[in-house]
Amino acid sequence: MVEAVCGACCQEKEDSFKAPQRAAMMPDLRAIKADWNFIMKNGDGWRDHLAVALNSIQDSIGRFSPSGKMGISGLLLIVFIAIFAPFVTFYEPSAISGMSLEPPGPEHILGTDELGMDIWSQICYGARMSLLIGLAVAMISGLGGGFLGLMAGYMGGNWDRALLRTIDITMALPSFPLLIVIAAFLNPSILNVMLVLVFLSWAKPARVVRSQALAMKKQQYIISARLHGAGPVYIIRRHIMPEALPLIFVSILNISSYAIVAESGLAFLGLGDPTSKSWGMMLHYATSFRSIYFTPYWQWWLMPPLIALIFLLLCLAFIGRDMERIVDPRLRSRGGQ
Amino acid sequence: MKGRGTKGVAFQYATALFLILVLNFFLPRMMPGDPFLILSADSENEVISVLTEEQRQYFISYYGLDRPIYEQFAGYIFSVARGDLGESIYYKVPVWEAIWTRLPWTALIVLGATLMSTVAGVLLGLYSARHRDGPADKILMAGLISFAEIPSFLLGLVILLAFSVKLKAFPLAGAITPFAHYSHPLDAIWDIGYHASLPMITLSLTQLTGIFLLTRNTLVTVMTRDYIRTARAKGIGERLVWNRHALRNALLPVVTRVGFMIGMLMGGAVLVENVFSYPGVGSLLRSSVIARDYPLIQGIMLVMAFSILTANYLVEIVYERLDPRTSSGEAA
Repeated sequence: MVEAVCGACCQEKEDSFKAPQRAAMMPDLRAIKADWNFIMKNGDGWRDHLAVALNSIQDSIGRFSPSGKMGISGLLLIVFIAIFAPFVTFYEPSAISGMSLEPPGPEHILGTDELGMDIWSQICYGARMSLLIGLAVAMISGLGGGFLGLMAGYMGGNWDRALLRTIDITMALPSFPLLIVIAAFLNPSILNVMLVLVFLSWAKPARVVRSQALAMKKQQYIISARLHGAGPVYIIRRHIMPEALPLIFVSILNISSYAIVAESGLAFLGLGDPTSKSWGMMLHYATSFRSIYFTPYWQWWLMPPLIALIFLLLCLAFIGRDMERIVDPRLRSRGGQ
Repeated sequence: MKGRGTKGVAFQYATALFLILVLNFFLPRMMPGDPFLILSADSENEVISVLTEEQRQYFISYYGLDRPIYEQFAGYIFSVARGDLGESIYYKVPVWEAIWTRLPWTALIVLGATLMSTVAGVLLGLYSARHRDGPADKILMAGLISFAEIPSFLLGLVILLAFSVKLKAFPLAGAITPFAHYSHPLDAIWDIGYHASLPMITLSLTQLTGIFLLTRNTLVTVMTRDYIRTARAKGIGERLVWNRHALRNALLPVVTRVGFMIGMLMGGAVLVENVFSYPGVGSLLRSSVIARDYPLIQGIMLVMAFSILTANYLVEIVYERLDPRTSSGEAA
């Protein structure tokens, strides 16, 4: 991960190109409109994009290392459990279905918590929460930040400068203390937590994609496409987007684990949504239980959410690392890795 | 790292600090409700003292809530600058005092973890680079990279369960043995170190991988340089080549990394302290969250944010001094 960030920064210094050149690149509104009409009329349909995307996904799965494949299967397993939670559990997660703190047994596979709720059900339904938060936050800030970075990088000018400043400041903010204080003041709802996470995590993809767009627009084939009359929307969609999408995808993976960690950390501190049964909330309730470590309860109350979280994060990390390697072949040669 | 000039960096951090102050000022004001409006009593026969309109006005002007918002904000900034962070509702002491009594414990584990992970990371990185692509290198790489993906508080829980609960080799909670009488100052130091070791190890494990990879990869790059070949050609011996010529040049990026690490460790410490019930600022934060002690939450946030921003700012300044290449915009 360290390398990827560095790789992005190194391109950054190329952004000081000369004024006349920039003027030549300033988008012309009419050109954008004509361009848009051209795309609308002549197809360039989403189906082609989809086919290309599917192909490249198929392609990249073939290039995954064993640990990456393990990560994918693990993630698929968790996704399966989350989607089919009602079918793989026997009780509602917040139904009192047994005695309090029953050890694992035939009635309750993983036992019950202090209120007599089934722990296996809580794990399965909790997977939904973690995946939802991870996915939603990562999609919004990955795609949103990526889009901002793309536009700013390609258009240049004042917008770009303003965006760069905003990115710098956002990245300087100490995220965890900020997260805690905002979560403490707002209602502890999942939506608020997600909004704050988006606010704190959009800057990285924006920066990575921006420098990619910046580097790309000086490539020969982009310049020649522009000289042949292609407008900015066409060039971005046709040439820059396909190159930037994998980068965005990598940031989506990274942000999703960041969001999952942040949500469970907040929940662990007692700032989670008290009505939700997330893995972080389970950790919170278990560790808040008086002298749990002097009882055997931690074995089936604290361990399952702990293992589940670590497993999910490791899966995401394995996939992310492989994706980074596949997306950026330079990483393989750099630093002798 | 890119060359933006010292002024740009200062501007960036000053704006970030200002944003945090703005947030701290406006968050409580955005909450619903009115502190002077009492709608219900806690118990049935509690006497509710309903404020008359006059009293209400008096209180509002007493707390300065009738002044324009920018004046209130300026007042807030001035009181923060004077170190006045308000009064803790729960502990009934000034916020600054509550934080100050806990701060040494957090500083102890954060600085201890910084030292531990730096030393261990550099040594392991050196070892790994010297035995590059050997079995030890591969095992270290794979193992440490997986470690890095586990966030500190989950790792802390695993370590706590393994070493304190299962093996009973370390204490479960606290920073000193309660009611202990030390016959010798060394006993006290031993006791404190004994209690601090697990939180410190947890925190340093999360940062170890970064230092390790950085040292290893920089060393691998440095070893291809001409001056290394020259040193070897002089025949000074492998050990001197590595320790004097290679390692010294590889340490520059490590210095920066260590600075940024302190910021990340501060964030991690909040959670890790709660795992080990360690009486630092982090566990103070949790109890203030549970008690909804808003001034204290804000104060802790401000102190943490300020120290993180200062640490990162100093790193950027020091780094530009150490490596003149960064200010001219050349690749680091």
